[in-house]
Amino acid sequence: MRVEIHGLTKRFGGVRALAEVDLTLESGTRTALIGPNGSGKSTLTRVLMGMLAYEGTVALDGLDPLVDRPSLASRIAYVPQIAPRLGAPVREIVTAVAALRCLAPEAIAAPCRALELDLAAVADRPFRNLSGGMRQKLLIALALASRPALLVLDEPTASLDPRARQNFFDLVEALGERPTVILCSHRLEEIRHLVDSVVVLNEGRVRFRGPANEYLRGNAGGRLEILTAGPGPESWLAENGFQRGASGWWARGLRNGERIELLRELTTRFGPELRDVVVRDIETLNPNEPRQT
Amino acid sequence: MSALRQATAIARLEAAEVLRSRWLWFCLGVYLLLSSIFVLVGLRESSVLGFTGMGRVLLSFSHALVLLLPLLGLTASGQVVNRSRDDGSLELWFSHPVTRTAYFSAVSLVRLLTLVLPLVVLMPLLGLVGRFAFGQAVPWGFVLRTLGVSTALLAASVAAGLMVSTYVRNQAKALMVLLLLWALGVALLDFALLGMMLQWQIRPLLVFALAALNPVQDARLALLAGAEPELGQLGPVGFFLANRLGPGGLLALGLGWPLLLASTCWLLTLQRFRKGDLV
Repeated sequence: MRVEIHGLTKRFGGVRALAEVDLTLESGTRTALIGPNGSGKSTLTRVLMGMLAYEGTVALDGLDPLVDRPSLASRIAYVPQIAPRLGAPVREIVTAVAALRCLAPEAIAAPCRALELDLAAVADRPFRNLSGGMRQKLLIALALASRPALLVLDEPTASLDPRARQNFFDLVEALGERPTVILCSHRLEEIRHLVDSVVVLNEGRVRFRGPANEYLRGNAGGRLEILTAGPGPESWLAENGFQRGASGWWARGLRNGERIELLRELTTRFGPELRDVVVRDIETLNPNEPRQT
Repeated sequence: MSALRQATAIARLEAAEVLRSRWLWFCLGVYLLLSSIFVLVGLRESSVLGFTGMGRVLLSFSHALVLLLPLLGLTASGQVVNRSRDDGSLELWFSHPVTRTAYFSAVSLVRLLTLVLPLVVLMPLLGLVGRFAFGQAVPWGFVLRTLGVSTALLAASVAAGLMVSTYVRNQAKALMVLLLLWALGVALLDFALLGMMLQWQIRPLLVFALAALNPVQDARLALLAGAEPELGQLGPVGFFLANRLGPGGLLALGLGWPLLLASTCWLLTLQRFRKGDLV
């Protein structure tokens, strides 16, 4: 499904969540929307889902998601960022979605199995009583079961363990006719596995657009933890933005390039005094000021 | 997929939710209590006091009903949309093929039926109990009139509640608006209106118009009109309207105006729900 957005603006009262957004995503492409909290990612996905009124032009295969929702809805699937607090049992929800999407129950059971969610075991449990991971797996299964032409994922793996995340990536890979995928995420892993281009939003505007690999090379990073043997590097670490923690010094939100430079300088200056260096990659994209790569 | 199938799927979900939340059972209990008082006390008393006693019973019963039904209608529907918006249900269901019209129609219908069906089942049933257990002549005309007027009043209350829950996003604020609406409805009956007229020297015609525009007052008059009421029962404003419109006119007003109000509120709310933000 081709996505065309021109001059899209969305206001909530006096707050402008999206401002003159222009974006075209070709059919079959996979794009990550990244940006700090409140940058407009979720608003953009909700506009695409026809849930929000807007100013400007949005066309999904030439159709308006708000006006032409009845024609589009069966070709679009969505995994929300926050699972709803539904008291309905899982069986009821699955039956309703199967009825709405004209699916056989097996069509939903199959992705559940792939995600290692035992649908029969949780069928009678209220949805809101499931664990966060189980809820997320079910929402993903409900979305993927319909084989959509546009798949909108808002932080889909936030509650999944590494194995479930890998199963999810495999499921998306295995989707037959390659759907257009739009992914809101801060996770390096998701971006590496799922998308081929990146759009960075900040304050409701598109700040950057480019291939995922190049973006990650320039902007991905992680946390750096330093355990020192003596007091030597401490003043240097403090000067370079590190903070003292319970077990050593740490700095987070560093881009890969910065980390390499810091490590090189640190080992050159204070090599013998370092006990350990830990490099972590955890949700550490720096979307505020993306570097053009 | 047809809109009817979508509406059916949503109606099933909503009905299950209503059963889970025990709303249906609560309504059933309230109606059972009212109807029991009507049958057990009212009919038995009327047999002792004769037809004049019946008028008093009907007066009390009608008042209890017109005070209670709007409250039930408003609270059953007044947080349906904003709560679904807050708990993420709307986001979930509208990520699947459901039109806004199908969703709103299904939810409205289920909420109205939840309130009307127990009444439709219980009142005739308890009438039969009165007839066969106590051997009393049941005023079936009044029972039928009560069912019609109650349904119209419930429809108006549910539509007003849905309107509040759609227009007012904040649930706490919505609750306040609902209570205010209910208070206005029950306050603007005869004596409050007369009080207003005396206090602010409002023209009598305006007072009568205000009374006629209040669906609670219309329902009350339509119920009382079936029992040859007196000035003391109707109140001065009601008595004026009864004289002007006659019993048939009062019944038409009690049925027609709440239904017209319900339709107008519902259509306006549907329009808002279709065009506005869902999340």
